[in-house]
Amino acid sequence: MTLSSKSYEVDDIMAAQEFYHSRQWTDGLPVVPPTADAVLACLDWAMMPADHLVGIEPVRERPVTAEKLAINAVMAGCLPMHFPVVVAAFTAMLQEPFLLHGATASTGGCAVLTVINGPIREELGMSSSFNVLGSSDRATTVIGRALRLILGNLLDVRPGEIDRSTLGHPGKLSYCIAEDEDESPWSSLAEDRGIPREASAVTVLAAGAPRQLMNEWTTKPEEILDTFCAEIKANMRHYSIYPGNYVIVVPPQLRAHFKDAGWSRKDIQQYVFENARIHRREWAEVGKANVVGKRGDQEYPALPDPEHLLIVAAGGPAGGFGAVIPPWLGHKSKAVTMAIGACLDCEPPAA
Amino acid sequence: MTLQILDPTHEGAVGGFALASRLSALKGATVGIISNGKKNTIPFFDAFEDELKSHYGVAEVVRRIKSNYSAPADPHIVEEAENWDAVVAGIGD
Repeated sequence: MTLSSKSYEVDDIMAAQEFYHSRQWTDGLPVVPPTADAVLACLDWAMMPADHLVGIEPVRERPVTAEKLAINAVMAGCLPMHFPVVVAAFTAMLQEPFLLHGATASTGGCAVLTVINGPIREELGMSSSFNVLGSSDRATTVIGRALRLILGNLLDVRPGEIDRSTLGHPGKLSYCIAEDEDESPWSSLAEDRGIPREASAVTVLAAGAPRQLMNEWTTKPEEILDTFCAEIKANMRHYSIYPGNYVIVVPPQLRAHFKDAGWSRKDIQQYVFENARIHRREWAEVGKANVVGKRGDQEYPALPDPEHLLIVAAGGPAGGFGAVIPPWLGHKSKAVTMAIGACLDCEPPAA
Repeated sequence: MTLQILDPTHEGAVGGFALASRLSALKGATVGIISNGKKNTIPFFDAFEDELKSHYGVAEVVRRIKSNYSAPADPHIVEEAENWDAVVAGIGD
């Protein structure tokens, strides 16, 4: 297989760092030099020719090839076995409902939350436990980082170029988690979104930063969810009132209470749908009276329908914590779930 | 020992866009403003329209608002724009 990307010669690995940093081709952290051998290993693992057209960015019609994705994946620290996840996640981001250009260009400053489901979590050694929202393991960290480098280098989503974020958030460095399917009383997020449990899948969402909450003083599902709903409503009051895909991350301690009470995903979705609502007039309480207008009594739900709530089982074993991850801006960008296309049972090609 | 490393960028592999030909003058022209529709764009483009007409002699200003301010202009607006002499991509916040 031959590669078509331009090749540069540098003296050593440190020179490679300066070469990429000086061209704004990194996120500021060191990168793994993408040699042809390393890039070819990724392509071989995913069984993709270098010129395979993964997709075309829909607004600026920019073609994206497997070779270019692999170069950025290597730079991010990905091993070949991580690469199929990167391809699947980026393919999902290219789907029309994700609204990639808007989500990555917006002053709103969201990042791409990526949730991994299925057997590949264990194959890649992903952890869904301690510190899950703060780099819990190698695989999720480098996969999330690869997606950010791809946006920068292939679509010019760099600060001040296409990326017009006023603030952004730390998830822009890497925002990838795996769901704790084994210790969950529920079907997985991907199953809930139509993917068979035997398959591996990614779900991507243009998302704000996590908002952490705590309620370890009740075992009642309704009261636990009231805390989640309060956090969602705070986001609606302080940031965006419009309904969309909200994520709730539920660690084991709180999950146990739902399990004991026999609450399913659908029960949780229905409760949040009914209770995470505010009236427009509440904006006046947080300094936004000027935009209440004549619609103060209008009620806004956080979710257009119950299924818009994405429930992710993840987190360390102790602590009555949880998190709400809000959408970038209402329903403009929708969560997209996609099966990971590489053959999971195949052996890597012989050296 | 030196390293051979690869270019991670698109290397100019961009879509087939080309700028429209430039107008020599605005006098008598029909100019479209495709606004992203954010609230504060309204007074801004009101003033801009006045300036185009009073200072530059623009004959007509056509104002259109995108249905989604984070997405490209709706197809019917793009189709209509073919009848205008110039278009302003009206991004405001």
